[in-house]
Amino acid sequence: MTASTTPILSMKGVTRVYRQGKVDVHALRGVDLDIHKGDFAAIWGPSGSGKSTVLNQMGALDQPTAGTVLLEGTDLGSLSRKALSAMRRDRIGFVFQSYNLIPVLTAYENAESIMALQGVPVAERRDRVMGLLEDVGLEGLEDRRPHELSGGQQQRVAIARALASNPAVILADEPTANLDSVTSEKLLDMMARLNNERGATFVFSTHDPRVMKYARRVIGLVDGRVDSDVQKEQGVEHKHQSRV
Amino acid sequence: MMLLKMAWRNVWRNHRRSSITIVAMTLALVAELLYSGLVTGMIHSMEDDATEFDLGDLQVFHEGYLTRPSLYDVVPDAGTLIGKLEEAGYQAAPRLYAGGLGGSGDMSAGVQMVGIDPVRDARTLALSEAMAEGAWLDAADPSGVVVGRGLARTLGLDLGSELLVVSQGADGSIANALYTVRGILMSVAASMDRSSVLMTEDAFRELMVLPEGVHKVIIRRPKDVPLKQAKTQVAALAGMGATDPAEGSVAVEGQAATVETGTDGLDVMTWEEINPFLAQMLAGVSGMVAIVYFIVYLAVAILILNAMLMAVFERIKEFGVLKAIGYSPRQVMIMMILEGLIQASVALVAGLLLAAPGMWWLQNRGVDVGALGGIQMVGMTMPPIWKAHYTWSTVQVPIIMLFVITFIAVLWPALRAARISPVEAMHHQ
Repeated sequence: MTASTTPILSMKGVTRVYRQGKVDVHALRGVDLDIHKGDFAAIWGPSGSGKSTVLNQMGALDQPTAGTVLLEGTDLGSLSRKALSAMRRDRIGFVFQSYNLIPVLTAYENAESIMALQGVPVAERRDRVMGLLEDVGLEGLEDRRPHELSGGQQQRVAIARALASNPAVILADEPTANLDSVTSEKLLDMMARLNNERGATFVFSTHDPRVMKYARRVIGLVDGRVDSDVQKEQGVEHKHQSRV
Repeated sequence: MMLLKMAWRNVWRNHRRSSITIVAMTLALVAELLYSGLVTGMIHSMEDDATEFDLGDLQVFHEGYLTRPSLYDVVPDAGTLIGKLEEAGYQAAPRLYAGGLGGSGDMSAGVQMVGIDPVRDARTLALSEAMAEGAWLDAADPSGVVVGRGLARTLGLDLGSELLVVSQGADGSIANALYTVRGILMSVAASMDRSSVLMTEDAFRELMVLPEGVHKVIIRRPKDVPLKQAKTQVAALAGMGATDPAEGSVAVEGQAATVETGTDGLDVMTWEEINPFLAQMLAGVSGMVAIVYFIVYLAVAILILNAMLMAVFERIKEFGVLKAIGYSPRQVMIMMILEGLIQASVALVAGLLLAAPGMWWLQNRGVDVGALGGIQMVGMTMPPIWKAHYTWSTVQVPIIMLFVITFIAVLWPALRAARISPVEAMHHQ
């Protein structure tokens, strides 16, 4: 899947400053970044470089201290809490490092729950969830609760859940960090396939070299700034920013 | 539906904690159901005793008779009034009262003679059914009297004993007569128990040389007529001008006892006005019940609050995830409230199942308090069997309060869960 030229997600001059006691911690220092439809991008960098903070900004989980985040042209900073919840529900999919499935729901129900919140009719929900679970290789495990699934299976459910709402972008925060190498490879294969077949847009934060091997775009973060941005198909590093 | 499903399963995640909370709710509900039934039963019993055995719903008497009873202050032509009342669907019976001295053997005591129409009285009040021993008055036996149990004990009277009564007749003569005890009353009201000598109306008139008039007309209203409206109607039937029956309200009311002053020198009063202490006590019982409800449910509310707060602290990360994937603060709050209400619903079912046999037993069999020797409150004697009384309102108040208290107790934890920041929550360990 080749990324389109129109960004679906734009960060413009985003800074994020946290107050820790009497000290200001600059997590992001003016990040400019565009994510295009069909991107399969990895944000990498050392611990404390701001990877998770970028994902939080993209995912409308946090507000920038300065700058704007636009999702499909909507300034997330202008939205109410209720509208932000709706935006997360309808346009953003999340995959977390520690899976974070809802423990009281089965694999099927975890994937279904977002659609239920969206008011999708039951029959349509069923078709879509079964299709998703098949896509992530979980046929026959629909009725299992998270504690009855392996780490890799749980992460597959998380991906199915993230895809369930037909989001504009799926944000995955170190999705392979808790998985062994074989399971990680399988998962990355699967996500790459979903990117190709469904056109799903993935943005990862990671420092796992395997993820960077799969990613077609690698964005390097250092000290809260975009240090490098490489499109691997073209083999061209076409954007450098705020190099320190 | 999804929120309800999640709430239901969340309740059973920590089933030990949920079970403790539900058991506490259940026990509180059972206690409140049994307690409210017993208190309501006591109120009903005392109100029924007051109206059925002694006061009636209403009384008509000569103006001022209640505060300064006099042998000469009578309701003239009571027969006509009783006829009108009976035509209007009321039950009414005449009563005559006089004080005197009763003696038997070496013993003597102050007595209150009560002249009664045995047939009408039996139709109006339940005193004729409250016989501990012997039989009720009979017009064919004018020398037969019924005495209070306490008086019988004081004077050593048994069935068939002779009782000498001495008083001063209406004409100033010495009134004295010898009677035979044909019945002894159960303990109903303190004053009646201690001093009453019930005799037929004719025997009373002959003893006290009082050929006409009665001192009181005791009235029972039809069940569907409210007391205040009944008072207005009775006042109108008694020819008391200052009332408007069409309005259903009394035009002239006094301050405390609301003595109705008629134009022809008669008063009509409700039993609540005649015995305001009893009425106030019965009204105050509902306040007492509310206080007990509050104390019991406060303890339960603290338990719910504690359990739900623990549930929130344990699941901070989970709430963060829910909010991250699109659950709104309102939906998180609703889920927490549902968890509390589900526990209350389980407690409701368990509480009703547990309380039902007890409620049935208390209502039909009751608690035997006879061994306590007849507890008396504001002049009324509690029945030896204390029975509960259940109506829909007796049951619904504890149930509604359980849900209200649960809702209030769960509100703060639910608000905390709703306000959790997803970013901070997901870093929570």
